[in-house]
Amino acid sequence: MMKLIAGKTGLRTLLAGLVMVLLAGDALAHGERAQLASMRMRTVHWFDTKVEPLNVKVGDIVTVTGKLVTSEWWPKHMPSIEETVYLNIGVPGPTFLRLHSEVNGVPMMRSTAFPLGKVYEYKTVLRARVAGRYHVHPILNVKDAGSLVDKGTWLEVAENDSGAPFVNEITTLTGETIDLETYGLDGVYTWHLIWIAMGVAYLLYWLIRKELFIPRFIRIRELGSDRANELMTKKDFVVSSLFFTTALALILGGYLWAENKYPITIPLQTGLVEVEPIEIPTGGLEVVVDHATYDLAGRSLSMQLQLTNNSEGPLRIGEFLTANIRFLNPDVNEGEIYEGEEMVSKDGLTVSVDTIEPGQTVDVELVASDALWEQYRMTGLIHDPDSRFAGMIFYYDENGERFFQEVGGAVLPNFF
Amino acid sequence: MSEANASGLAETEVKARALDLKSLDNPRAMKLYRRFDGIIILVLFTFLVLGIQIQFTLTAGDWDYWIDWRDRRWWPLVAPFSLLLFIAPFTYGIWERVRLPIMATAVTTLLCLVSWLSRYLNFYEFTHFPLSFTFPSTYIGLGILLDCALAISRSLIVSTLIGGGLFGALVYPINWSFMAPYKVPVEFNGMLMSVADMMGYQYIRTTTPEYLRIIEESTLRTFGGSVTPLTAVFSALCGMVVYAAFLWVGYKINGLDKFTKRIV
Repeated sequence: MMKLIAGKTGLRTLLAGLVMVLLAGDALAHGERAQLASMRMRTVHWFDTKVEPLNVKVGDIVTVTGKLVTSEWWPKHMPSIEETVYLNIGVPGPTFLRLHSEVNGVPMMRSTAFPLGKVYEYKTVLRARVAGRYHVHPILNVKDAGSLVDKGTWLEVAENDSGAPFVNEITTLTGETIDLETYGLDGVYTWHLIWIAMGVAYLLYWLIRKELFIPRFIRIRELGSDRANELMTKKDFVVSSLFFTTALALILGGYLWAENKYPITIPLQTGLVEVEPIEIPTGGLEVVVDHATYDLAGRSLSMQLQLTNNSEGPLRIGEFLTANIRFLNPDVNEGEIYEGEEMVSKDGLTVSVDTIEPGQTVDVELVASDALWEQYRMTGLIHDPDSRFAGMIFYYDENGERFFQEVGGAVLPNFF
Repeated sequence: MSEANASGLAETEVKARALDLKSLDNPRAMKLYRRFDGIIILVLFTFLVLGIQIQFTLTAGDWDYWIDWRDRRWWPLVAPFSLLLFIAPFTYGIWERVRLPIMATAVTTLLCLVSWLSRYLNFYEFTHFPLSFTFPSTYIGLGILLDCALAISRSLIVSTLIGGGLFGALVYPINWSFMAPYKVPVEFNGMLMSVADMMGYQYIRTTTPEYLRIIEESTLRTFGGSVTPLTAVFSALCGMVVYAAFLWVGYKINGLDKFTKRIV
């Protein structure tokens, strides 16, 4: 009876496991919701991210462009982007080839360093390599801090019409045109087969014999450790010497052969490159953060700001951006929404003062409110060790020209 | 008092050993032993292949995954260190008990085979990396040299000096025969790169940024700038020390049998 119950339980567990495996969806994104709210709010503000085109075939070019601002409210407990950072792209492995990447016009094959409070314009050119549907994210890998991820954009890659194998050709400085997909593999296979054959042959010599583990153990125990070497025969000595000589000859011969075939080689290359940062182009709006509160129940961040318009024309606040979430002011209706763009709250921003006239100083309440706070796990900011926020405000002059600057400060939670 | 008793063995133990020895002339017993030997090979090699795969992945991991990680300085030090600390205790045990100089060759050959399986299934089929970027290194020739040094000299000390030294020194030369093409220079965006660097840049690794690589970091270059031979000499020395140290570990582990019951 017990056996029957155990059998049924085991069967149910097996079936449950099978159902879970079959129903599990693909892991397509890069954990952008998993990072601490403070990491997303106060490290890098990504904006104007554009991935185009969104439907391509294998072999086609995809361009990812955008801007980022390094936050002046960077958490002190986190290694800084001012040391070492690498511009990367978040795709599922090499489903794309990276043909080019640059920051402020400087090629980014190497790592660099970004001072805080500056603007960087980046561009990454990709070539679709494997068909599929992918969530493409720009990423900054910050040394000792991990990856800082921009929001993703879905991209469809279809098979190419010809069905020909993917080829990735480059020309070396020695004048040879090579396909990196298969380059050097003939030599790799040949040498590996030679060594595997040698290894297997050596093992077979020692393992295929009349007396192996147990008989040899018995004999050595009888002979004692002083005479145990009597088990090693003259044939063992000769065969081992042959293997030793052949292995040594192959290693040295192979080395000299390769040196002769590839006389021009260089060591792996490394090092940092320098990027000249761009200053934030403020439009004459002076911002002082008085205080900020996060309303847990209302899923909203309220900021009390004192704004002074030092420009010669009226200014209107059109957008607040934090943790890659855009809160747009529907009254201004200026911010462009790109094709396929996610994490946009089209009417998520309310501003208590519509227009700030030249020379005017006003107290303004900005409220960024949307279910996206919950959806993207931003409510966790109340658990941060230093309870601060940061984000970007975007404002426009009467001609529709956009300016931006970072705001930040302490934030208090409102639990009820 | 019998001779056996003088050596400290109980009478029953002496009789049992005599029976064991006599059994070697018994065809039925030998047939049984051969079956047991087959099981031992199966269990031992399964343990070795799983053990070395996990251990090498944890200690040498990326150095063996990517062609743009295998530099002239760190990889030839890390790889033999990682392998020898696994090989040495097994070599001691198998040599002391059954006089079979096979462990270095077995470990390196099994590692090579399981690495190819992993690269093909995990890297090529599952994550689309080309094999030209992720093929494993080979250490089989070094394992043969180490085992043969023991078989020829019949001495763990001599095999440590010769085999351990060669194991450390020849990591770069044994792989150079098929790795050299990946160090051919390329010009890209006005910068000099090797083919391997170029592959590392083009084939995207989201969480393995360029700066994670440890390339040419150390002060060995101050000795005349000959990086590869200097690393080989240093690696040879490390190979001897690591092999000797972990043979001692094997010796200690081998001594634990006094706590076990007689099994044969």
